[in-house]
Amino acid sequence: MDARILLVEDDPSIREVTAIGLGAAGFAVTTASDGVEGLERFRADPFDLVLLDVMLPRLDGYEVCRQIRRTSTIPVLMLTARADTMDVVVGLEAGADDYVRKPFEVPELIARVRAALRRAGRLPDETDRLALGPLGIDVAGRSVTRDGVDVPLTRTEFDLLLELVRHHGQVLTRDVLLDRVWGYDYLGDSRLVDVAIQRLRAKIETDPAEPELVLTVRGAGYKAVR
Amino acid sequence: MIRGVRARLTTTIVALVVLTAAVLGIGSYLFVDSRLHGQAVEDASAQARFDLSILAPSRLSASPTKEEVEQLASDFTVRGLQTIIDAGPDRPFTSPGSLAGVLPTLPAGLRDSVDAGQIAYAWVPIQGTPSLVVGGRSGGSGPAIYFVRDESPLQATLDQLRLALGAGAVVLAILALIAARFLARGVLAPVEAAARAAERIERGDLSARVPVTSDDEFGTWADRFNRMAAALDDTIGRLEAAQDQNRRFVADVSHELRTPVSALVAEASILRDHLDALPQAARRAGELVVDDIARLRSLVEELMELSRFDAESEEVQGEPVDLNRLIRDVVAARYRDAVVELPDDRVVIETDPRRLQRILANLLGNAREHAPGALVVVRLRANADWVTITVADRGPGVPPDRLGRIFDRFFMADPSRRGGSGLGLAIAREHAELLGGRLRARNRDGGGLAIELVLPVTGSLHGGDTAETHEDEPEDR
Repeated sequence: MDARILLVEDDPSIREVTAIGLGAAGFAVTTASDGVEGLERFRADPFDLVLLDVMLPRLDGYEVCRQIRRTSTIPVLMLTARADTMDVVVGLEAGADDYVRKPFEVPELIARVRAALRRAGRLPDETDRLALGPLGIDVAGRSVTRDGVDVPLTRTEFDLLLELVRHHGQVLTRDVLLDRVWGYDYLGDSRLVDVAIQRLRAKIETDPAEPELVLTVRGAGYKAVR
Repeated sequence: MIRGVRARLTTTIVALVVLTAAVLGIGSYLFVDSRLHGQAVEDASAQARFDLSILAPSRLSASPTKEEVEQLASDFTVRGLQTIIDAGPDRPFTSPGSLAGVLPTLPAGLRDSVDAGQIAYAWVPIQGTPSLVVGGRSGGSGPAIYFVRDESPLQATLDQLRLALGAGAVVLAILALIAARFLARGVLAPVEAAARAAERIERGDLSARVPVTSDDEFGTWADRFNRMAAALDDTIGRLEAAQDQNRRFVADVSHELRTPVSALVAEASILRDHLDALPQAARRAGELVVDDIARLRSLVEELMELSRFDAESEEVQGEPVDLNRLIRDVVAARYRDAVVELPDDRVVIETDPRRLQRILANLLGNAREHAPGALVVVRLRANADWVTITVADRGPGVPPDRLGRIFDRFFMADPSRRGGSGLGLAIAREHAELLGGRLRARNRDGGGLAIELVLPVTGSLHGGDTAETHEDEPEDR
């Protein structure tokens, strides 16, 4: 594997050891020690994935993520010291695909990086169009319309919607969604799913407080209904 | 207690009033009684002295005839006096005649004094009428003459006086009772206010104060009470501030430790994969570094978790949780060898599954640490109001005197043992309290420790609807 990774982390020890671990796993790693430098490096060279610490000098990780998202759909993983729901929400709102909680073990980080890369590189296995109520989903073009109007979704939101629509009428548990959308084959943090579902609803539902397309099944998970 | 004091105060006041009234009433009665009787005796004596020394000797000869006696008696009768004239043995003359036979019934003392030539009197009831009898000898040595005066009006006056005084005393007692109750209530009002204030302080409201309404002893006392409450408030405020500072310090320290610990964890994870490549002399040290970094990591994470509890920023996110499933999952992930005993029926309660997982994981971690290799049983019991999840081991247990402290922070039943931070059970307890439940520990019959998590079955759902969705869940991963 020869994927190029941009690692933006201010703590020198964490930056160095993470770079060593990723390098040993076969990734080409470029490092930056603050938000501004990170953006400069990102604009200077092409990358396949960005690892972004939240607490960065000069420009915080959320802002760096927002700026990256203006021009790119590249997978972005946030490295966060806290895993409060607020952090997850802010990270996803900024356009991050996933977050890795500090402290992390390097093999765990590598697994998450590989899952994100797999997901990003996954070719659409169908070219047809799907529909859910007023929504039109162009699988190959990775775009969604509601009553003919474009609905901008992040990569994660699109994958989540696609997974629910493909199994419409069925309840998908949070664990199943974590597995299929985020590519985790271990017990992840299911709050990620809850927050992503809320973000998705805010974009596709008429009234996100009274969802009609993606429903919560208490004690079980979520399901899409036509 | 206050009711007792009020009753005592009322009783005392009423008793004092009644006693005073009794002394005054009886005293004035006795005074009037003696004055009226004295006056009657004086009047009667003056009249008798005159009649015996002047009138009677002028009418009676040395040996009076019957006619003389009758004449004298009729003179007395004209003046409204009843008389008994003892003119010689067996010849008492009475006027009116109804007094016949009275003479022998007169007190002997009176008759002796009269016979001795003195003027004497006695109060005697005669034929049912209270009477004053005054007697003396005519001219000092003549026949004995007794004047009988009907004193029933005097007696009636005294009777009326007694009645009036008695009624007055009763009225006074009732008035005193009413007044005393008001008085007692007024006097005790500050005490009751203080009792209410003390009650509020007992409930933790240290802002409670007693109104200072007077300059008397109660006022002074209320002021003292208020100063005490203020001092208490101040002291507790300072203690809380110190505790807050302490907690902030712990939060800050654990937060600051987080970055170096993150670096260490990442470094150790790489080191662990290359332990075999280390020279023999360094390998064991490398292993210990990896283990100790893991310990340090969990200690810092647990401290941060406790700091979040202390900051009271924790939220409970409730949802229906299938306990059977949750327990099986946690045991499978944390302690595969534990024996799980579940009821046949699915138990579903409304609770926060993440916190419950954390509690169970910590209880299992505690069992693993303190009863290594021993049989561990996880049991679920449920009734209408409570569910109880028990994690029981067959380890050494905890000495009974230390059993109550095992949920304290940094408490170690066996400090010589290496491994745990001493925070796992404290964290479990914090989570349990957030879920509205509690943790209890006891030593088992036959050895070992059992820790029970008791959770309320609030907003519980019947297994039905969720059970179906679980069954329909796609598992084709």
